[in-house]
Amino acid sequence: MTYLLRRLAVFPLVLIGVSIVVFVAIRMVPGDAITAMLGTEAGLLTPAQREALAAYFGIDQPWFVQYGRWLAGLLHGNLGISSTYGKPVLDVILERFPLTLELALLSMIIALVVGVPAGVFAATHNEKFSDLGVRVAAMIGQSTPNFVLALLIIYTLSAGFGVLPAMGEFSPLWQDPLRNLGQLILPAITLGFAFAASVTRVSRSAMLDVLSDDYVRTARSKGVSARGVIWRHALPNALIPVVTLSGIEFGYLLGGAVIVEQIYALPGLGRLVLDAILQRDYALVQGCVLFIAFNFMIVNLLVDLTYVALDPRIRLGEQ
Amino acid sequence: MRMLRAVFAHPSGRIGGVIVALYLLLAVLGLLGLTPHNPLMQYRIDRLHAPDSTYWMGTDLFGRDVASRLMMGIGQSFTVAFFSVAFAALAGTVLGLAAAWFGRRWDGVLMRLMDVLLAFPAILLALLIVAVAGPGTRTSIVAIAIVYTPIFTRVVRGPALSLKAREFVDAARTFGSSSSYILTRHLLLNLVAPLTVQITLALAWALLTEAGLSFLGLGTQPPAASLGLMLSDSRNLMETAPWLMIFPGVAIMISILGFNLLGDALRDIFDPRMRRAIA
Amino acid sequence: MVQHLTRKLLSGMALPGIALAAMLGIAAVPVQASAATLHMAWSQDATGLDPHKQTAFSSLRLLELIYEPLVRVDASLQIVPAIATSWQFSPDGKELTFKLDPKAKFQNGATVTSADVKASFERILDEKTGAAARANFLSIASIDTPDPATVVFHLSQPDVPILTAMSDVNAAIVPASEIAAGSVGTKAIGSGPFKLDKWDPNAKEVLSANKDWAGGATGVDGIEISVLPDETAILAAMRTKQIDFALLNDPLVATLVPKEASLQLNRVPVLAYHVLQLNPSRKPMTELKVRQAISCAIDRQEVLDTASLGEGKVTGPLTIPSLATDPSQLFCYKRDVEKAKQLMSEAGYADGFSATVIGATGEPPTAAAEAQVIQSQLAEIGVKLDIKMMELNVYVDAWLKGDFDMAIALNGGRADPYTMYNRYWTKAGNLQKVANYIDDTLDSQMQQGRAETDPAKRKAIFADFEKHLAEVSPWIWLYTSYSYTAQQKNVSGFVPTPTGTLFSLSKVTIQ
Repeated sequence: MTYLLRRLAVFPLVLIGVSIVVFVAIRMVPGDAITAMLGTEAGLLTPAQREALAAYFGIDQPWFVQYGRWLAGLLHGNLGISSTYGKPVLDVILERFPLTLELALLSMIIALVVGVPAGVFAATHNEKFSDLGVRVAAMIGQSTPNFVLALLIIYTLSAGFGVLPAMGEFSPLWQDPLRNLGQLILPAITLGFAFAASVTRVSRSAMLDVLSDDYVRTARSKGVSARGVIWRHALPNALIPVVTLSGIEFGYLLGGAVIVEQIYALPGLGRLVLDAILQRDYALVQGCVLFIAFNFMIVNLLVDLTYVALDPRIRLGEQ
Repeated sequence: MRMLRAVFAHPSGRIGGVIVALYLLLAVLGLLGLTPHNPLMQYRIDRLHAPDSTYWMGTDLFGRDVASRLMMGIGQSFTVAFFSVAFAALAGTVLGLAAAWFGRRWDGVLMRLMDVLLAFPAILLALLIVAVAGPGTRTSIVAIAIVYTPIFTRVVRGPALSLKAREFVDAARTFGSSSSYILTRHLLLNLVAPLTVQITLALAWALLTEAGLSFLGLGTQPPAASLGLMLSDSRNLMETAPWLMIFPGVAIMISILGFNLLGDALRDIFDPRMRRAIA
Repeated sequence: MVQHLTRKLLSGMALPGIALAAMLGIAAVPVQASAATLHMAWSQDATGLDPHKQTAFSSLRLLELIYEPLVRVDASLQIVPAIATSWQFSPDGKELTFKLDPKAKFQNGATVTSADVKASFERILDEKTGAAARANFLSIASIDTPDPATVVFHLSQPDVPILTAMSDVNAAIVPASEIAAGSVGTKAIGSGPFKLDKWDPNAKEVLSANKDWAGGATGVDGIEISVLPDETAILAAMRTKQIDFALLNDPLVATLVPKEASLQLNRVPVLAYHVLQLNPSRKPMTELKVRQAISCAIDRQEVLDTASLGEGKVTGPLTIPSLATDPSQLFCYKRDVEKAKQLMSEAGYADGFSATVIGATGEPPTAAAEAQVIQSQLAEIGVKLDIKMMELNVYVDAWLKGDFDMAIALNGGRADPYTMYNRYWTKAGNLQKVANYIDDTLDSQMQQGRAETDPAKRKAIFADFEKHLAEVSPWIWLYTSYSYTAQQKNVSGFVPTPTGTLFSLSKVTIQ
C-alpha cells in the first residue's frame, strides 16, 4: 500500500520532467505554427505581420515565459487551447482517446488469445514439426511491417471482394457498436498480428525455461499430471515476461498507432500527435505527450503489481 | 570454435546459422559493391521491368536493379539494426541491472527516467534527433537505440528482480561471495535466456523501425537502399510492380527467421539449466 | 501480368467475400445517406477557415466553396464575374471600379455591399491580420464606396495583375460585421455555393447547399469531405463506392484509377511547376556558366518520365498556356552533356563539385524521385549531389532562410506572371532571399509587364522575361504536372481547371 502511494507520488515529478523536455524539444525543431499554416507563403509576411501572428499563436515570448504561462494554466486544470482545433486541448484528446483505448484492448486480446496458447503449444512440442510451424508463423507475423499488412488487407478486400469497412466517419462504440466493431476489427488484426507473434515467441521461450526449472520437475516427480504441471505450475511463472512484453506493447498502443491510423483513416491519438507535430500545434503536442506519459506510467504500475501477484517472492520496494 | 560446433550441433542453430551467415555474406558483398549490377545505376529504358534473366528481381521506378539494391539494402539494414540493438542492449542491461541490484531510490529514479523516454511518442523523438543531427544512417542508429533502451532495461530488470529473490543468490551471499561475483556469475548467466530472445526480437523490430523512419523520410537517405526504404517506397507501386514489395518483404522475413532460430539455439547452449538438463 | 492473375484469382472468390462482409458487419454496397450528397475524400485537410490567412492547397480548395472573391478565373484562365458583375480600369490604369451583384448574399442573410468589400481589403492590408496575400495589394492607395453596389480602388501606380490577384480566395469578401466581431477565422460566413455545417479538423467537413447563392441552385444538397490520409485507401474506398469524388496528389496512385471500370480520372495541367532551385549566392552556383552547365546536363523529360510516370509537360518559367513559350526555344532545353562539360571547364570546375540538395518528404510525393534522377544526371558532369529529405516544416524553414545549395520544390503558379513571380524576380521581391538572384533586366521586364495594359505587348514582354530567366538559370524549371480528381462515373458536371479549384462542384450532379 505504501509502495503504491510512493509510486503515485512520483507521477507529478515525472510528468513535469516530460513536459519540460517536450516544451524545449518541440521548439528546437525548425519551423513553427506560422510556417505550418502558410508554408512557403510565410516568406511574404512583413516583420510586423509575423509578430502579429506570433502573438496570435502565443509563441512571441521566450520559451520559459511560455512554459510558466502553460504551467499556471495547468494548475487550474487547463492544458491550453489547440490552435488547429480551436478547442481546449483536453477536450480534443478525450474525443480521440476512446478509440485508441478500444483499439489497444482489441489488439491485446487478439495477441494474448492467439499468442499464449500458441507459445505453450510450441514449448510442449519442442523441436517437433508442429513447433517449427508455430515458429515460422510467428516469424512471418513479426517481420511484416504493419503498413504492408494494412495495405494488403485493404487491397485484397476492396479489389478482390469489393468490400471495405466504412472509411471516413468513425462511429464510437456507444453509438453504433456493430459499425464500430466493423471499423476497428481490421486495424486491430493488423496491430494484433505482430503483437501475437511477439507474445508467441516470448511465451514459448519462457515456458521452455520454466519447464526445465527444478520445482517443475519436482512437481512432475510428485506425480502431478503433465497438463496440471503446465497450466497450474509452469504457466504462471512463464507469464512474467509475457506480462512485461504485453505491458510495454499495450503502453505503446495507448500512445496511438500512427501508420495504422493513417491508412485506415481512424481518428486516434497517434494521428493526433503526428498532425499536431506537423502543424506545430505546440499546446496540443504538449498535452498529448503528457497524457500518453500518464497512461504509460499507470500501465507500468499495473505491470509491476502483476509481477507481485504472479511471483510472490518479489516484494516490491521492500528489501 | 567449440561455440561454432555447438551451434551447428543444434538443429535450429544449424538452419539459423546458415541463414545469418548467408545474409552476412550478402551484406558484405553489398557494402563492398560486389553486386550483379551497380545498385545506383539507373537503366532508364528498363524502368519497372519485371524479373527476368537480366534483372533477377526486376527493376524499380528508376530502372535500378532490385537484386543489387537488395544486397546493398541488406548491408545498410544490418548495419543499422546491429549497431542500434547493440547499443540499446548494452545500455539497457547496465541500467536494468543497476535498477534491480541497487533497488530503492536508484530503481525508482532509473525506471521513472525510462518511463519518460518510453512515454515519448517515437516520432517526436525521431524528429528531434533528426532535426539536431540531420537525417542519415548514424541518426537512425541513435534514434532506434534510444527508443529500445528502456525496453531492454525493463526486460532485464524484471527477471533480475525475480532472480535476486531466489534462494541461490541468497545462498551465494551467505557463503560470502562478493557482490560483483554474484552479479556476473549468477544474474548475468540467468539473464542470457531472456536477453537473447529480446535481442532477436529487437533485431526484427529494428529492421521494421528503420522502415517506419524511412516511411517518414527520416531514415536512410536516397539513393542508398535499406530493406525498410525499399518496402516503404514500394507501397504505391504495390499494384503496378508487386516485385518491389515482395522481394524486400521476403528478405526481411527470412533474415528474422534466421535471427530467431539462431537466438533459440544460443539460448539453449548458454542456459546453465538446460546444460544441466542435458547432462 | 502478375497483377492480372491476382485480380482473377481474387474475383473468383467473390462469393466468400460477401459472407466475409456479413461476418464483419460491413456493408458490401454502402447505402448513401442521401442520394444528393456528394461523398468526397482527400488526403490532406484544410488547416483553417480564415480565407485571408490560409495558403495551404487543401484550405483554398475548401474555402473556395464557401467564400467568393470579387472575380474568378475560369478553366481557360479568363477573368469572369463572381461577386462583381462588371469591372473597369480607368484609362491611366490607376483606378479600378467594380459593380457588385445585387443578388449576392452572405450566408447570414445580409446582402454583400461595398462596405464589406472595403472592410475586407482593409483587413488584408492591415499588418496585424498577417495575410500573406497583402503583398499583392500594396498598390491600393484608397478605397471609395460611392454607393452600396459600387467600389472604386485608387491605385498608387498602374497595376494590371491586381485584377488576377483579386480572383484568389485569399482576397475573398467577408462580412464587415464579422471582421468587427473578430470572428472571421472561427465562423465561416461567405457568399459562396456551400455552407460549412461542421468541421472536425483532420477528420471531416460537412457542407450543405446555400439556397440563397447568387449563382443559382447547386447540383447536390451537400458535400461530405472525409480525410483519408493514405491515397491507396482513397482508391480502395472508391472501388467499394463509399466515395464519389476524390482529390489525388500522387501520380503513382492516380494512374491506377483508369484501370477501374466504374471510375473516371480527370486530369488537367496546372500552373504549379516542379523546379530545381539553385542558390546563386553559394559557390560555385555564383558562376553563370556553372548554372548553365547544370541546366544543360539535366534531361527534363526524363525527370518527368521517371518521377511522375510521364504525367505532365516540360515547362519553362512561364506555365500560363496563353503566355508560355515553346520550351524547345529556351536555353539548353535539349540535353547537351558535351556543352555542359565545356561550360564547367570554362568556369574552372572541370572536375566538378559537391553540393547538397534538399527536398520535403511527400511534398510533392515525387520529390525524392526527382532528386534521385537529377543526382544521376548531374553525376555525368562531375557534380556530386547529396540528397537530404526533410519533414515539410523543417524544409520550409530552411527554404525561407535560403539555407540550401539546391532545393527540389513544387512552387505554386498564378494566372498572371507578375503575381506569380514578383516575389522572386524583382528587386523588392519578398522572397529575394530565397531566389538569391536578380539583375536589372529581370527587374525592368517585371515592372513593364506590371504596367502594360495591351495584351499583345504584355505577352512580348513576358516572352523576353522567360527567355532571359531560362538563360541566366538561377533555377532549373522542370515540368508542370497534372491536378487529379477521381470520380464515380455517375457523377457529372465537374470541370477541372489549371488553378486546381473545385469550384465547379457547385454544379455537379449525381445520377
